[in-house]
Amino acid sequence: MSNKYTQQLDSLEAVGLSSLYPGKFRISVGMATCGLATGAGEVFNRLGEELKKTGFDAILSRTGCLGFCQMEPVVDLFIPDGPRLTFVEMTPEKATDFIKILTEGKIPTDSLLCVHQRETLLGDNFKEYGSASADTVADVPLYTEVPFFAKQNKIALRNCGVIDPVSIEEYVARSGYRALLEVLSSRTNVELIADVKTSGLRGRGGGGFPTGLKWEYTLKTEADQRYVVCNADEGDPGAYMDRSVLEGDPHSVIEGMILGGYAMQASMGFVYVRTEYPLAVERMTVAIEQARGNGFLGENIFGSDFSFDLQIRQGSGAFVCGEETSLMHSIEGVSPEPRNRPPFPSESGLWKKPTNINNVETWANVPALVFKGGSWFSGIGTENSKGTKVFSLVGTVRNTGLVEVPMGITLREIIFEIGGGIPDDKEFKAVQTGGPSGGCLPASLLDLPVDYQRLAEAGSIMGSGGMVVMDETSCVVDIARYFLDFTNDESCGKCTSCRDGSELMLNILTRITQGHGKPEDVDFLLELGAAVTDASQCGLGQTLANPVLSTIRYFREEYDAHIERAVCPAHACKELVTYSVDVDKCTGCTLCARNCPTAAISGKVREVHFIDQGNCTKCGLCFDVCNFNAIVVE
Amino acid sequence: MADTVTDIKPEKKNMATESAKSGAVLVVGGGIAGIQSSLDLADSGYKVYLVEKTPAIGGTMAQLDKTFPTNDCAMCVISPKLVGSGRHLNIDLITNAEVMGIEGESGNFTVKVKRHPRYVDAEACTGCGACVQNCPVNMIIYPVERDEVDIRKNDRDVVLPILEENGCGEGSLMPVLQAVDRHYGYLPKDVITYISGKLSVSLADIYNIATFYNSFSLVPKGRHKISICMGTTCYVKGAEKLMQKLCTDLGVEPGGTTEDMRFSVEAARCIGCCSLAPAIMVNDKVYGRVKLSDLSGILKEYQ
Repeated sequence: MSNKYTQQLDSLEAVGLSSLYPGKFRISVGMATCGLATGAGEVFNRLGEELKKTGFDAILSRTGCLGFCQMEPVVDLFIPDGPRLTFVEMTPEKATDFIKILTEGKIPTDSLLCVHQRETLLGDNFKEYGSASADTVADVPLYTEVPFFAKQNKIALRNCGVIDPVSIEEYVARSGYRALLEVLSSRTNVELIADVKTSGLRGRGGGGFPTGLKWEYTLKTEADQRYVVCNADEGDPGAYMDRSVLEGDPHSVIEGMILGGYAMQASMGFVYVRTEYPLAVERMTVAIEQARGNGFLGENIFGSDFSFDLQIRQGSGAFVCGEETSLMHSIEGVSPEPRNRPPFPSESGLWKKPTNINNVETWANVPALVFKGGSWFSGIGTENSKGTKVFSLVGTVRNTGLVEVPMGITLREIIFEIGGGIPDDKEFKAVQTGGPSGGCLPASLLDLPVDYQRLAEAGSIMGSGGMVVMDETSCVVDIARYFLDFTNDESCGKCTSCRDGSELMLNILTRITQGHGKPEDVDFLLELGAAVTDASQCGLGQTLANPVLSTIRYFREEYDAHIERAVCPAHACKELVTYSVDVDKCTGCTLCARNCPTAAISGKVREVHFIDQGNCTKCGLCFDVCNFNAIVVE
Repeated sequence: MADTVTDIKPEKKNMATESAKSGAVLVVGGGIAGIQSSLDLADSGYKVYLVEKTPAIGGTMAQLDKTFPTNDCAMCVISPKLVGSGRHLNIDLITNAEVMGIEGESGNFTVKVKRHPRYVDAEACTGCGACVQNCPVNMIIYPVERDEVDIRKNDRDVVLPILEENGCGEGSLMPVLQAVDRHYGYLPKDVITYISGKLSVSLADIYNIATFYNSFSLVPKGRHKISICMGTTCYVKGAEKLMQKLCTDLGVEPGGTTEDMRFSVEAARCIGCCSLAPAIMVNDKVYGRVKLSDLSGILKEYQ
């Protein structure tokens, strides 16, 4: 029987391969949200127009995000029988030239970032490219030589930026749905769970609970109906890998969820996506339709007696809905407050049935590890954290983007080798991991290997993988205040400790950033933080003190400077700085006066300007607009 | 029967030194705090007068489903105390009554209590409920069945397909509200009342959900929704300045809508464009690396 389905996949693969490698030039544009925000849509349209105008014979296609978001829009050129070239920071004008050079029979080299000699397929398999036109690009760095990519190992992001997200054929051409067919035709669900346990995969959403174990618990609970859920309510500010996976490779999540459904004998799955990600919802909807059309979702998948279907549910902008019990309440349509655990969702979840909830990245890892085997996966990473983790490397760092690295890599490697260090000759100050539940780590911990345990020991968490780098101009007290403002706003209000505790801590931090701190404030914050952590029901309350506690632990002297001397060493706290005009540098161009929202700056053309401190709201606009560095911040 | 006013004057005991100290306490308010205090005092030997304004003691706790933080059933906790205070020999329950005035000094007060008429003999009533059921006048203490609210025809043409598409079963409330919000830009009162009847979900529950999520609004929003990302990265890279400039230019507060209903401005919790910080989103379109000088150009794209 399975022969018929192998043929089905083979024919899909043939179509996919012919669109991925059509035997002529193929131009692909990265069209995820980050690409679109920097004008990938315009580049795509221009390329299309130019191809039509010139009649040049090439295929134009769209892909997800390659991860190097700093350099968007990214365009890839696949040379027939030759290497793949990656071009960055494209514009419509450059696109016109791009096609013009191609029509002249040459290879464009403007804005060329790197050359791919081979394509990494699942695991350690490769597809070697030919060497046509290799001489033209001989002195361009290889993909593996670009610092941003050199240390990466892409498993969850394996297809992002390579395939067309809404082409099931291209997904199959990259070994997609093969694992599913193999499992459904030759493995029992218990064997599958055993393999996932062997792999050592742990939840990528933040908690880090072993995935295989969670699946086993769900299966062991007696029930007539079980559910699997994909948590795509990626609320942590500073993390966006889930969005990228959903926009760039939705089929990997679908395949992972079908495999999970089979392992736990669930017949229904939900994908819970936050409303801020319209493009992800759109692509996921199309992908689910395609999977259904091919019989990968629905009744008797691949001729087995296993049936499974998926539905998309959208959040409506509530951070706490990323917490699993709250998320389930939201799907049920009741008030989405978290509840006590136990009972855990694996015992009593959606509509009181056993439910397994995993994060997008976890689901995207599943097909890969099943395809290659659990022991292959467990060979990557550290002793208690296996595999790779996607981090969104953002903030004040040269190369921003999504990076997928093996567990155990140090922060220094991520920030200074992959990220290229801090721009504008500034000093590294801290890196914030784990969003509002995580902490700020100082320069002294840069050599910390990144895995679940080590980060927790340092007072932070892995979280969903947000990594916000801060330079000397960021004030850690202000950052702690920012996070408390966030959690205070997002607290659902059920537990007094979280609702009022966050409010109290926020008030104290606000007071400190305004220069009215009291000597006992820091000790009180520590005490309050411990109480909130102990007395709250869900993850939001239990971790909201982390940003405060970790900054006090590593940056105590900054708190002291604010409290004892009313000074903000980073010049970031508005109330503690003054803006004034440097009389030697001011040229009297009036730019600052025209931009000042409160008309606090006076001065005539070509005369030195003056800031009226009484009217100044310290918005910093004058500092930003001045072309002569004539505005001084003290 | 009319209101009666009683003076509560505790019996004076013979106390040699502190002449006027009496061994009685008046507790005002028969909520859980009042009940517990009365029981504690009564147990330690004081005579307690417990005055409660409503016809029965119990207060708010008796109306609650659970208590924090243990999620214990509230009635299970309070019932033994209700019964206990009712039959404690040292406790005098004075319900349906209000304190009018207090005179005297510490240890020897005279309290004036106004007792409202109950029209029922409290000694004889067993609380069987038969009188309530047989009262011919509308029983206002029970909620009246809500008639199906009628809405304008063109609203119905919008809502009925939405209800049909999402079904009326478990979990359909959220998708229905989202669809209504997408169509109108907010949740209009008539429509929601109508849906409440159709889905058999109370308005209170819908209100709870509509106010829980940030993206639902109960008041009309502008034609174009501007969300300024306040994610960590955008914040570090100066999103606050964008907000300030935008609000000054449009003359609105964060969260507000311009008078011509053209724009609504709000802060968003990370739109997932951290590598292009600071980012803003207008309707569904994202703009990355936005500079203060870009704002007016972006606004011009939307009329």
